[in-house]
Amino acid sequence: MALLPLSGTFLGDVTTVGVVVDDEDTAEAVGQKIAHHAVGRRVAARTAPIRVRLGGRVLDPDEIIGRTGVSPYDHVEVFFDE
Amino acid sequence: MPKLSRSDWYDLARDMNWTFGYVNEADVFPEELSGTGRVPPEAWLAWDEPYKISYREYVHNQVTKDTTTYSLKNAVGRSKLFDQLDPGWKSVVVAHYGAIAMPEYLASFGEARMGRFGRAAAWRNTATFGTLDEVRHGQIQTFFPYGLLGKEPRGDWALKAFHTNNWITLAVRHLFDDMFVANDALSVAIQLTFTLETGFTNLQFLGMAADAIDVGDLEFGSLISSIQTDEARHAQQGEPTIKVLIDNGHKEYGQFLVDHMFWRAWRAFALLTGLSMDYYTPLDSRKMSFKEFIQDWVVKQFADQFRDYGLDFPWYWDEFINELDWYHHAIHTVVWNYRPSVWWNSDAGVSPKERQWLEEKYPGWNRAFGKHWDVLTENVRTGNLAETFPETLPVACNLCQLPIVRAAGVLAGAHTDPAPLRHVHNGRVYQFCSEPCRWIFTRRPERFAGHKSITDRLWTGDINPPNIGGVLAYMGLSEAEHGVDADNYAWANGKH
Repeated sequence: MALLPLSGTFLGDVTTVGVVVDDEDTAEAVGQKIAHHAVGRRVAARTAPIRVRLGGRVLDPDEIIGRTGVSPYDHVEVFFDE
Repeated sequence: MPKLSRSDWYDLARDMNWTFGYVNEADVFPEELSGTGRVPPEAWLAWDEPYKISYREYVHNQVTKDTTTYSLKNAVGRSKLFDQLDPGWKSVVVAHYGAIAMPEYLASFGEARMGRFGRAAAWRNTATFGTLDEVRHGQIQTFFPYGLLGKEPRGDWALKAFHTNNWITLAVRHLFDDMFVANDALSVAIQLTFTLETGFTNLQFLGMAADAIDVGDLEFGSLISSIQTDEARHAQQGEPTIKVLIDNGHKEYGQFLVDHMFWRAWRAFALLTGLSMDYYTPLDSRKMSFKEFIQDWVVKQFADQFRDYGLDFPWYWDEFINELDWYHHAIHTVVWNYRPSVWWNSDAGVSPKERQWLEEKYPGWNRAFGKHWDVLTENVRTGNLAETFPETLPVACNLCQLPIVRAAGVLAGAHTDPAPLRHVHNGRVYQFCSEPCRWIFTRRPERFAGHKSITDRLWTGDINPPNIGGVLAYMGLSEAEHGVDADNYAWANGKH
């Protein structure tokens, strides 16, 4: 259990936001934490699942973020999987 | 006894030089303060300012300008003119005072540094007048908003802003520390007076004064005009400085200094002038879009004047031109979203008529940016205002300190990857909004590496509690000072 600062961009948004997640969070939880700052605020909500891309690889929703090789301040891309 | 005409004594009085006998050159003009050592001392004798003025003439001119400007202020202060101004224009004025009044005073440090460490006597003479100009600009631009306090308490941000860690202040202070507070005399001449003042602000102040008169803000128009005429004079210091540098074989270094500061000036302009011209100025008073202003004035000026001296367009010119279509629109969306964090009332500027104007001036605006405003508008209309406010910070660029909006660049077709650009220096990760910002940092990392962006401060525990309430308190904003929507959301409810 450790705090993990990340920068995240929800595709379709205008800006990249700073978030602090838990390194035990799943990719699904990380995606939701970043989507919280964009979807329904500047990006229109959709019913599609939300996915996370790290270093060009789309993470499995159950993957633990701290075990993906991520480092503090890394950037993740979050998007609707349609 | 008849007085000599100015031309009979000017050069002799101006060129006060002597040969050092008790100290050496490096003691008198240390390179870190002067920056002129690339060129031999005798070559600096060619430095000549195009527009000459004596101290007697200077004082006469300034007294006349001050008398006119202060008289007008007194007359306008007794009227209801300010109350009648468009809310968006009031935002232009309040934003301007907070962001610019103190830097004008700080610019007197840069002018004074040229007045002492400029290598030509003529340059030191001109810079002495420039020092007096900037002290005046700092004073007049804190005094005028002081007169607004009864109507707009945040007029005191003219003085206060630079003593806070507000995110706009961080960006502006970082820029001006780089440009003139912590810069050598040669670089101040090329980066402040040539790149910023000749390249951008001298022209902008002309336009801004005209806009002020057009919207009925006679006081601000008169103030800006009185400053612009000083700027036009002391901005001349850049031209002879770059000429001496280039004539002595150092074009490459001059080009580096211009490239460095042109980009930074562009970033500040996109933030302050971009939002003012395209979103805050009332639609009826907009004579041109921000993009047209930059194209017609700044780009043309650079092409005509800078290239006359043998300078090339900066290496990132295409990126700069491309950004005219999208960058300030993205920054505007962020500033409005983070409106409690700025000391002025952000004007959304997206009523149906204004959106039509934006689409006309920036074809594709609706596709790239209108869709965000659709979501924001819907939240306002349905009373879901909480969703129009932020709960975390955007990631700020470690050079320009502004939010990283490469994601908007992707929407505008300018980038393919929204990820911030990175650089690791001494084990620390730095993030950037653009290649030019990263280039400026990596050319002289020791100059910038110690600074923390607002996001770094949140991440590393400087801001407590680490939430948006803690952020606003850290930025020096009391609740009464939080910016609100300038039009009380009339644009969203079809009442605009």
